[in-house]
Amino acid sequence: MTTLLSRPAPVAVAKPDPAPPKRRSRRWIGTLATPVVVFVFSSLLTFGLGALSPSNPAAAVLGETATPADIARMNHEFGLDRPLPVQYVDWLFSALRGDLGRSYFTTIPVADSIFAALPVDLALAGLAILLAVLIGGAAGIGAALRQGGRLDRTVTAVASALGTLPPFVLGIGLIIIFSVLLKALPAGGYVPLENGLGQWLRFAILPALALSLDIAASIARQLRTSLVGQLGENYVTGAVVRGLGTRRVLFGHALRNAIGPALTVLGIGVPMILGGAVVTEKIFNLPGLAQLALQASGQHDVPLIQGTLLVTVTVVLICNTLVNIAVLRLTPQGKR
Amino acid sequence: MSTLTAVRLPSARLALSVLAVVTFLAVAGGTVAPHDPLLQDPDLALRGPSLIHPFGTDYLGRDVFSRLLAGTGTTVVAALESVGVGLALGVLPGLASLWLGRTVEWVLLRAVDAVMTLPFIVFAIAVTGILGNGLSQAMVAIGVLFAPLFFRVTRAAGLSLTRAHYVEAAELFGASRWRILRTHVWGKVVPTVAVTAAQATGGALLAVSSLTFLGIGVQPPAPTWGGVLASELGFLSQQPWAPVIPAALIMVAVAALNALADAIRPGGAA
Repeated sequence: MTTLLSRPAPVAVAKPDPAPPKRRSRRWIGTLATPVVVFVFSSLLTFGLGALSPSNPAAAVLGETATPADIARMNHEFGLDRPLPVQYVDWLFSALRGDLGRSYFTTIPVADSIFAALPVDLALAGLAILLAVLIGGAAGIGAALRQGGRLDRTVTAVASALGTLPPFVLGIGLIIIFSVLLKALPAGGYVPLENGLGQWLRFAILPALALSLDIAASIARQLRTSLVGQLGENYVTGAVVRGLGTRRVLFGHALRNAIGPALTVLGIGVPMILGGAVVTEKIFNLPGLAQLALQASGQHDVPLIQGTLLVTVTVVLICNTLVNIAVLRLTPQGKR
Repeated sequence: MSTLTAVRLPSARLALSVLAVVTFLAVAGGTVAPHDPLLQDPDLALRGPSLIHPFGTDYLGRDVFSRLLAGTGTTVVAALESVGVGLALGVLPGLASLWLGRTVEWVLLRAVDAVMTLPFIVFAIAVTGILGNGLSQAMVAIGVLFAPLFFRVTRAAGLSLTRAHYVEAAELFGASRWRILRTHVWGKVVPTVAVTAAQATGGALLAVSSLTFLGIGVQPPAPTWGGVLASELGFLSQQPWAPVIPAALIMVAVAALNALADAIRPGGAA
């Protein structure tokens, strides 16, 4: 969602710890091993949350008339009578095999429910990220090239205003413009990607746009700031003096050096996009993970809640790792 | 620029006056409201602005102006609650990661990485689903997710100080670690943390409104800014202008917090 949430404090992003220079191989190992450690931490958090639950699931499912013997039997069935560390290890290894347990209420395997909903979010988030990069990149580069000009001021003003808006207002504004006034696009609903790209796009473009604008604003801001800094450097002046064209200087030299902070923002933006998807799915009535989480939350369905949380974290970690690899590959600092 | 001179900036003054009004409403909102925010009148449902109802009425005929005034307290307290949790869980571990050795540092950094992978709303939904659907539970969840922000900001501000000459000198004179943190580090870290806290409060206001929009945390009919906005959005076809008022209220408050953060940022507006 858009919030700080969506507006990482510049201080936090701009100053990485001055680590001693590492050799490339070590940095690659770090990039690939850290997510595994973080996953273990996150899974502990997710499991711990379930263990904190004050409600006894068996009592909740069986209702008022359950005898203590019934409850004990059901606890045994779900494995809830074992010590917590044993439960955690068992839960984690089952999860790694794709078994996230069964819903307390419907007894449908959690993994089935999640993997029915996940493609909606992945497709939507993918489109949102693409839009964020295109819009944010174009706006940031444009603003930096015309520094102080009208375009620059417009981009800065719009980017600041977007950060103060509750995320759902954006979605509803898009519905009013494109569905109610222009009657060009449907106001809600979803068609899977398998039914054809055009059909899917008709339903996905508005929610994806609503999700992407906030990140796009952050990307534009970061890219503008760092690109303005790079364009003032001597090597850029040198390249211009040597007679290289604007495009060559921009894409071949300045952008490669300036793209780091914007990529970091994109990495932070992935959980924001997945979090914002909850609100967007609600507005556009999409059958995604968030609807599942909301429904599970209303029923206190602990396995389903843990499952959605763990899957979301995994998706975020994969995306963050991809962004880190991109930073290592794209920026000259990362190649050294 | 020091914090005091920053307050003389016009933008900072405007921001402070807006925040003063919001604070006043948060404390006194319910008592200055012209109508009972919960009083329903089906005959008056979805009316436009009038002298009696300056912002019109909602779908149950309740006075929107009174509901916004009465909802200010809940909304602001909830936002501050999450920022408080974030400060408590972020600042001290941030300093601890610098001064308590490598093992503590490694564990804290990985824990922060793990918390940062959690999307705000999904986590808040999960927490309220497991611990009960209350605004406090939801805001503690949001606060936990604010902690990495404060952790990183504190750590970044403190990092340069660990190698500052006067800190080394104090260590050589035999000052205790606690004394160094209190007298030499704390004052340098506070301005940065204050900037972040102001921004985080703005973020928290948006998070509260998103959560109430989803029906999480606040039980109807209790009024909040996000709740009023969400209920107005349901009747767009009848009253397309109505959501503008609560949305503008949220935007102005968040923008004031951001402007204040920019003004007090060490080294001037960034």
